[in-house]
Amino acid sequence: MKVFITDGTTEGFYTAVFDAYREDDAVITSPENMQLRFDSAVVNVAADSGKAQRVKNKLDRLDRYAAGDIDLALRSDDALREQAAFEYIKLLVKSGRPVRKMLSHPAVIDISDIISRVTGELHKMKGFLRFMETESGLLYAPYSPDNDITELIAPHFKARLGEQKFVIHDVKRKKAALCNGNTWFIAAVGEAEVYLSEYERAFETLWKKYYASVNIKERPHEKQMKGYMPVRYWKFLPEKNGPSE
Amino acid sequence: MLDATTLEILTESAKYDVSCSSSGSTRANRKGGLGNASVGGICHSFTPDGRCISLLKILMSNECMYDCEYCPNRRSADVRRARISPDEICTLTINFYKRNYIEGLFLSSAVFDTPDRTMELLVETVIKLRKQYNFNGYIHMKGIPRADNALALQAAKYVDRMSYNIELPSEKSLKLLAPQKTRDSLIVPMKKLQTAITYDRENRVKKGRTLPAGQTTQMIVGASPESDGQILRLTEYLYRHMGLKRVYYSSYIPVVQSSLLPAKPAGLLREHRLYQADWLLRFYGFSIDELCEADENLSADYDPKCAWALRNMHLFPVEVNTAPLEMLLRVPGIGAKSAYKITEARKFCKLDFDNLVKMRIVIKRAKHFITCKGKFYGAEGEAARAALLIEGSCRSVSEGSEQLSLFSTPATGYSALTGQL
Repeated sequence: MKVFITDGTTEGFYTAVFDAYREDDAVITSPENMQLRFDSAVVNVAADSGKAQRVKNKLDRLDRYAAGDIDLALRSDDALREQAAFEYIKLLVKSGRPVRKMLSHPAVIDISDIISRVTGELHKMKGFLRFMETESGLLYAPYSPDNDITELIAPHFKARLGEQKFVIHDVKRKKAALCNGNTWFIAAVGEAEVYLSEYERAFETLWKKYYASVNIKERPHEKQMKGYMPVRYWKFLPEKNGPSE
Repeated sequence: MLDATTLEILTESAKYDVSCSSSGSTRANRKGGLGNASVGGICHSFTPDGRCISLLKILMSNECMYDCEYCPNRRSADVRRARISPDEICTLTINFYKRNYIEGLFLSSAVFDTPDRTMELLVETVIKLRKQYNFNGYIHMKGIPRADNALALQAAKYVDRMSYNIELPSEKSLKLLAPQKTRDSLIVPMKKLQTAITYDRENRVKKGRTLPAGQTTQMIVGASPESDGQILRLTEYLYRHMGLKRVYYSSYIPVVQSSLLPAKPAGLLREHRLYQADWLLRFYGFSIDELCEADENLSADYDPKCAWALRNMHLFPVEVNTAPLEMLLRVPGIGAKSAYKITEARKFCKLDFDNLVKMRIVIKRAKHFITCKGKFYGAEGEAARAALLIEGSCRSVSEGSEQLSLFSTPATGYSALTGQL
């Protein structure tokens, strides 16, 4: 079995697809998820824009939404994301037409599951992200999503916050979306030093008060709360940290 | 800045309003403004009672001139009172919104001074929020019964959704428990708003469209003796003839001691069943006559779709590979999403039982009502009923109190109550 190791980029993945396509039992994976069997032959793939472009062109001809699907899938933290995307591409090429609605095919089920976990988290984070106002009036939101969704979530807040300056900081991946009130871009950001505005604590306290007051004690249903709002997200939610007073 | 105690009082008073959805509107941000609406709605947090927080739900005041029996803020109640100004509401909304705590504002109020005066101040607040504070997020505003209808129509130009709470499902119960509200004081403004919504839709009004997210209402279940059948008939009327987007049900909790009110909570299962039936009316092509007789309650043992299927076993099993979508939707355990998945997947290849499992169609209940490539995997007839009963005994809904049984007639519980009328 040949294992193709990508460099973790989208281009690297498409290059690996190009190289692995003719192999019989090829596997594509990224370095951090590599698991080798005793009989595996490792191939390290260097991203090649020419090869990647040829694969993408082929996909675009077969299904103009496929590249978008692959992009979403590769943002997942699932260890099998590259392999699932590879299987999907193989099915697409074999069928010669869009396969997204072959909902009982394992390749389609696998990639749909991976994609829906990415878009599901994206939707949740649109609600659970919390900004704090800094001294200069900039809004700063640290978070640590399972999947790499910062590029996807930034446009949502750009539309919403208008001319407001903001930073959305993925502390796990050490990257951030920075918006100057006009355009936004992605940058590598390790640690951020934040000085809060004088009203920040007061509004946070009011919010905690609100959270405590709006709960109906006579109808406890903690399981449901945790189902909708997993505990791993609580770290960045003020209402779930510290006393309400 | 607003103090924490005032916020506490006005939130405590508003929290029994069930509606929290922020969906249905596509309002865009304006230049220099803050906020937009997300058509699917966004939940921003969840409280330990399992409900979502989407909107800042707050009363402008809880000083009420009315004396509705069930209401914790009624005039004769001894509770802390507070009021906040339009500017305080605007500042709080803007600051919560900026931090992404909320999706928008849910503004309501007790009736202070007069209905007109209360409504005027609510309208003033939302106009201020839109124009002066340039806020384009979601706003849900409560209508005040007996206020001038012109005020409601004015507000409707600025907010995304409005609601008048019907509270009690019959005129009789309203008279007993909320004598200051009449059916007409709720239905007339709802109709006027609906006419304005329809006008805007038919004339393709783009700017300042009336209530882009429509109207909703809420009913308290279990405070008065109406049966599920009666409640759902009213619901169906509201959906089909008044164009309402949602009807919310709130299981009665005795927060107020009164000889006119039952001492026990109505229980969450009854509310749950009503919502299930509500969904069947809206998304599954059921009519109320198929689900429940007028003077009956929904079955506690089975969900309403299951109960219907068991009464109509002659229609089952259906073949998943050929059954029309309308019929798949009627199979217990198969929801709208699963039905869609099946109809798409079967265009490519015939589905067998294994396929369904892999597609994560929940077949625990469905297997008694379907065949896959002609093969049946469930139990026949009476056996199916028995199998479902066993599964039903470990249902997930936690029950707050004694539930109405399958055969209980709703009137018996509160005969003392009805005697008063």
